[in-house]
Amino acid sequence: MDDKVLVIDPQKCTGCRLCELVCSVFHTGSSNPSRSRIKVLKWEDVGIYIPLTCNHCEKPFCVEVCPTKACHREPENNNRVTIDKKLCIGCRTCIISCPFGHPFFDVQERVTVKCDFCDGDPQCVRFCDIKAVSFVSAGETSIVRKREFANKYLDLLRYGK
Amino acid sequence: MKKEVVQPIRTHKIFKPQEEWKGIIAIYLYLAGMGAGSFIIGTLIHWSGVALNPLPNSTIRLFNDSLNLSELPLFWGPILVAMGAPFLILDLGIKWRFMYACLNPKTSWVSRGFIILSTFILLGLAFLAKSILPFNWLHAESFFWSIVEAIAFVFAIGTALYTGILLKATKSVPLWNTKLLPILFLMSALSTGSMAILLSTLGTGLLSYESRTLELLKGTEQILVLIEGVILFLFLLRNYKTMEQAKHSVRLLLSGEKKWIFWGGIVLLGFIFPILLENISSYYPENLILIYASGIALLCGGFFLRLGVLSAGIKDQIPMKRLIEVQYGIGLMERTGLRGERFYHSEKNKKIYP
Repeated sequence: MDDKVLVIDPQKCTGCRLCELVCSVFHTGSSNPSRSRIKVLKWEDVGIYIPLTCNHCEKPFCVEVCPTKACHREPENNNRVTIDKKLCIGCRTCIISCPFGHPFFDVQERVTVKCDFCDGDPQCVRFCDIKAVSFVSAGETSIVRKREFANKYLDLLRYGK
Repeated sequence: MKKEVVQPIRTHKIFKPQEEWKGIIAIYLYLAGMGAGSFIIGTLIHWSGVALNPLPNSTIRLFNDSLNLSELPLFWGPILVAMGAPFLILDLGIKWRFMYACLNPKTSWVSRGFIILSTFILLGLAFLAKSILPFNWLHAESFFWSIVEAIAFVFAIGTALYTGILLKATKSVPLWNTKLLPILFLMSALSTGSMAILLSTLGTGLLSYESRTLELLKGTEQILVLIEGVILFLFLLRNYKTMEQAKHSVRLLLSGEKKWIFWGGIVLLGFIFPILLENISSYYPENLILIYASGIALLCGGFFLRLGVLSAGIKDQIPMKRLIEVQYGIGLMERTGLRGERFYHSEKNKKIYP
């Protein structure tokens, strides 16, 4: 079966931050967006909102620098990169290393946390009514992106913009 | 008619230095570096075979045994490193799990550092214990201890280098991601270490002020400080000329909110005071206060060097964020020198960013 990935469409996001709320409720039991695994970057003055979540990189820096192997890849779970809370010592090396600013330090649990696809049913996808976040197979998303690029290229050839 | 005011979108970027590793890590890096540096210098003095003054009160009685403290001022480095390690543990989220930190030496520099530091502390303290304890079964003069000393020496160099490599290995902070950083920290470790040995040998009377060895030690320490200064200059220059975030880090140090750490702590305490006071003290050989003052200033400077480098580290921008800012021209005026609406209404930029 093809691995699934989270795909963000920044043009659809309205910045409601419901994804942050449901994520924190699912993972921590509290409705506290600061403990969420997804963060919405905002440029209020230009009206742009981008939900940012872990990219589950092919060669993740967080896995490389983790001194305890708490940060590891799970090929059986959509090839996700996840953190074992029982092994994490809270050194925050992964937070400094990640170029995408993803793992977060949970001040209550005193460990680093990151997106784990909510064990196969991402809550951010489930509750995002406008589908700014979707959970699709990796192959499918690459086809969609190639198609988008081809359309833009054709537009450029046709209309010159 | 009054001209309509154009409300520009946000035209400046806010660069925040990383806040994950703070002063407590700087103390750890400093003590590890200084301890390793002093062990390196102490071992070199030991290997050179120079005559050391006999200490008047070098033995103390403990129960029925007498402990010999005559070599303590040369080999006290591992004690400093052992004092620094708890600061790393204090910084952890869950402190009691610190032993887990050695589980991934294959790829993680934190793990490798844990092993390097632990080995150095164990070997260094064993060697120190051998030089203090009077037991015959230790065979203090045997060849075995020479091997232990040599291995501890190698691990001391490893410890001094590791403090820089740890920061370099994080990759996402351009200021730290340079080969010059481990060399800078190694030089700082050697200069602070040589000063620590100078102070301890002078303070205990192991070396007298007039001795040639002390003169040599002072000269070496001054040369090391000068080399450190040159490397610091090259480190800042290289970072200023290359990547954007590294340039902002350097600005933060030279003229931003960290300028007190840089100019007061690193430049004044770490370089100017020690060199000035040591040169003045050569005219007043009987006044040891000047030497002690320069020593304390240099040691403080070593700490501020770590603190400055650590606290000025700005992470690379998230690519998505960078893309948006380029797309909407946020922060572009920093590269062009134009401000606000002038940037968006200049003829050149209208073509690039219509």
